[in-house]
Amino acid sequence: MTSMIEVEKLTKSYGGKRGIAEVSFQVEEGDVFGFLGPNGAGKTTTIRLLMALLHADAGAARIAGLDCWKQSLEIKRLIGYVPGEPALDPNLTGGQILEYFANLRGSVDQAYLKRLVERFELDTSRKFRQYSTGNKRKVVLIQAFMHRPRLLILDEPTSGLDPLNQQEFDRMVLEARDEGRTIFLSSHVLSEVEKTCTTVGIIRAGRIVRIGDVAEVKAIKRYEMTITFATAIPVETFKTLDGVLEVEALNHGHGVRLAMQGSADAVVKAAARYPVVSLTSYEPSLEDIFLRYYEGDGPRSTEADHVA
Amino acid sequence: MWLRSVFLKTLRDYRVPILGWGIGMGLVVVSPMASVATFLSTPQAREQLVGLAATFAWNADVVAVDTIGGYATFKIGIFIFLIAVWPLLAASRMLRAEEDRGSLDVLLSLPRARLGVALEKLAAMWTALLAMGLLIGLLTFAGGQKFGGSFSLGDGLLFGLNLALLCAVIGGIALLISQFTQEAGPAAGSTAGLLLVFIVMDMVHRVIPNSEWISRFSPIYYYNRSKPLVPSYGTNAGAMVLLLVLALVFSAAAVWLFARRDVGGTVPLPRWLRRPAHAASRTLPVGDWSLRSVYARSLGMIAMPSVWWTLGIAGFAGWMIFVVQQMEARLSTLFASSPTVMNLIKHIGGGDASFNAGFLSAMFVLLPLFLMAFAVTQVNGWSADEQDGRLELLLATPQRRLGVLLARFAALGSATVFIGVITLLASAVAAAASGLTLDLGNLAAATLGMIPLGVLIAAVGYLAAGWLRSAADTGLLSFLLLIWFFISFIGPELKWPDATLRLSPFYYYGTPLLHGLPLVPLLGVLAVSAVALSLGALRFVRKDIGV
Repeated sequence: MTSMIEVEKLTKSYGGKRGIAEVSFQVEEGDVFGFLGPNGAGKTTTIRLLMALLHADAGAARIAGLDCWKQSLEIKRLIGYVPGEPALDPNLTGGQILEYFANLRGSVDQAYLKRLVERFELDTSRKFRQYSTGNKRKVVLIQAFMHRPRLLILDEPTSGLDPLNQQEFDRMVLEARDEGRTIFLSSHVLSEVEKTCTTVGIIRAGRIVRIGDVAEVKAIKRYEMTITFATAIPVETFKTLDGVLEVEALNHGHGVRLAMQGSADAVVKAAARYPVVSLTSYEPSLEDIFLRYYEGDGPRSTEADHVA
Repeated sequence: MWLRSVFLKTLRDYRVPILGWGIGMGLVVVSPMASVATFLSTPQAREQLVGLAATFAWNADVVAVDTIGGYATFKIGIFIFLIAVWPLLAASRMLRAEEDRGSLDVLLSLPRARLGVALEKLAAMWTALLAMGLLIGLLTFAGGQKFGGSFSLGDGLLFGLNLALLCAVIGGIALLISQFTQEAGPAAGSTAGLLLVFIVMDMVHRVIPNSEWISRFSPIYYYNRSKPLVPSYGTNAGAMVLLLVLALVFSAAAVWLFARRDVGGTVPLPRWLRRPAHAASRTLPVGDWSLRSVYARSLGMIAMPSVWWTLGIAGFAGWMIFVVQQMEARLSTLFASSPTVMNLIKHIGGGDASFNAGFLSAMFVLLPLFLMAFAVTQVNGWSADEQDGRLELLLATPQRRLGVLLARFAALGSATVFIGVITLLASAVAAAASGLTLDLGNLAAATLGMIPLGVLIAAVGYLAAGWLRSAADTGLLSFLLLIWFFISFIGPELKWPDATLRLSPFYYYGTPLLHGLPLVPLLGVLAVSAVALSLGALRFVRKDIGV
């Protein structure tokens, strides 16, 4: 696979204030990349640098091999963009906005555009200022998808959408992925990233702290396993096993709750020596991963681990 | 302290308008005092002043206009529309704009009664109006003292109070109308329209005999019943009380309706007045010219303001040409008694030509000033678009930053050319209709020659927008315009050196109505504009957007 987005030691500050520092990552063509981070972490700054709305202090960013600043015009032909806080001419109707952007982009398939309008059930006759937050978001989403771009850069795209339209958005992202298009999606809605993304990057305080496949990121998660036995067992047996972080005895030794990380092989083999009634493992969610990286001070930036 | 209550917070929001509008309007009252003071030196001049004022009697009462206070009252009568602009805008936005932003939802989520919130906001506006009235009254009294007026401090304050009461009535009407509209703009527009109707209704009894009963339906009629600056005429307490009652009734009705309607909604109209229900549509517009390119869209955005400014500027030029012959005899006698004003007209208008041509030429020098003011308002739109994030999605399309900036600038340039051409046509038609002989070449030079000046201020605005936020950019341009105006209009009278006078672009506009097009100087203005625009473009293509 070739890289669609290559970011190398990208740095941006606003006067003396922090923006992002030495951010590096790659997004492969056809990938759906989830960019996670709390408010003010640097997600939007990174995206605006990719869109050539900001000029980097240092480092490099390339899209499809083109320099994001110097060749921005060529890059924008490839991109569909949803900004974090979309602002459009309040006096134009939704339909006029879509028509205007279609004219500016050129070669927009009108039939496809109409299908998108239908899919989101957008009333195109209302002025932008009269739209609800969700409907404003629909207009911006449609303009991002309408020219079938090779790369979609979406900054918190489902903010304000109702669950039905969020589902519609998820379907559109998956369709785009199936068509081989690349999606760069910033979000703090972790279930959304979990559903649609193949790769995840986590940014905190302007620095990337983790990048990896969704599955790989999940693998670093602490998770819990509860085992119930037919008889009382020596709980201490589990304390020294690989992957076990904490052990808690249940029901006077008839059960055990384990906090774990990594492989469960040793635990399963140890448990098999006793009569097991049930074994329950709680799947890690990105929410847990996310919380782990941002609880307290979190891991230092030196822990950045580029898996992908 | 200012954030302790809704009342104080709203009053805090009004602090700049209180000072700006209060002092500004105070100066509007004082300036005719300054100009008329020099005209009152001879009985002949007084007589001509009264005669001249009588030609405008349809617009305002001609009462003791040969006195400082009487003339100021007469002049303000003509410009009453200007005075009412702030309360009209402020009241229409008072609740509606907050609903539009959603900030009223948050405010009303606090444990405060909706009625109380509305009353506190209303009280803040009334307090602001009283403060403005106080400033106007004090400045009026100071002006009277300076230029020999015969009215007291109490008269000045009553004058300010009378204005504040009229403003409160207009504000009350705007607030009431805003309960029926979804946005503040239509409420302000409807109130402005109604204000024009009130002005015309007040005029009726001065033009048509036995029609005073019509004028009694206009609040302006009751404002005009009091002329505190004319001691012999005095104040009509009954009329002032009636204005107060009207303001109370309109405001109370507005607040009562607000307390009962949906926040974000409108008062339901009777079925026969309602618009047809909005039918949702999924269709897309086809063939809309204004959506074809950034330039076309930019033209579409400034089309309506351009039309209004064209009407104003072309109308002013046409009107001045139309009436100059009628006013010639009176004005020349009047100005003959005032060497200062005569010199001013000569300096501005171009010196040694006949009075008529010199006066007209002086009036035409105002045209580029108006055009530049138009350009300032439109530059504000450019900087506001970046500040409010509206350029973000536009620049995400395959459009060059340079192209976007030049398209916006070209649209503004096209509008200035349009205004220049229409002004030329209107002037030519007015000259033909009034029988005034004008050199068509010079007329074209005077009207089209203002275009480079409009382009210049726009280019400077685009350059400054590279660093400044919208309000600061507009403030800087307004300041520049004011400075240039003073350099060119007051500088010659103060014998300022030629090097100083050359700092103003008006210097390069010259007096084309008398002396033709100063081609080289105007090409110089265009060259400076090109440099400013180039620097502005250079900045824009390199800068961080929205930072």
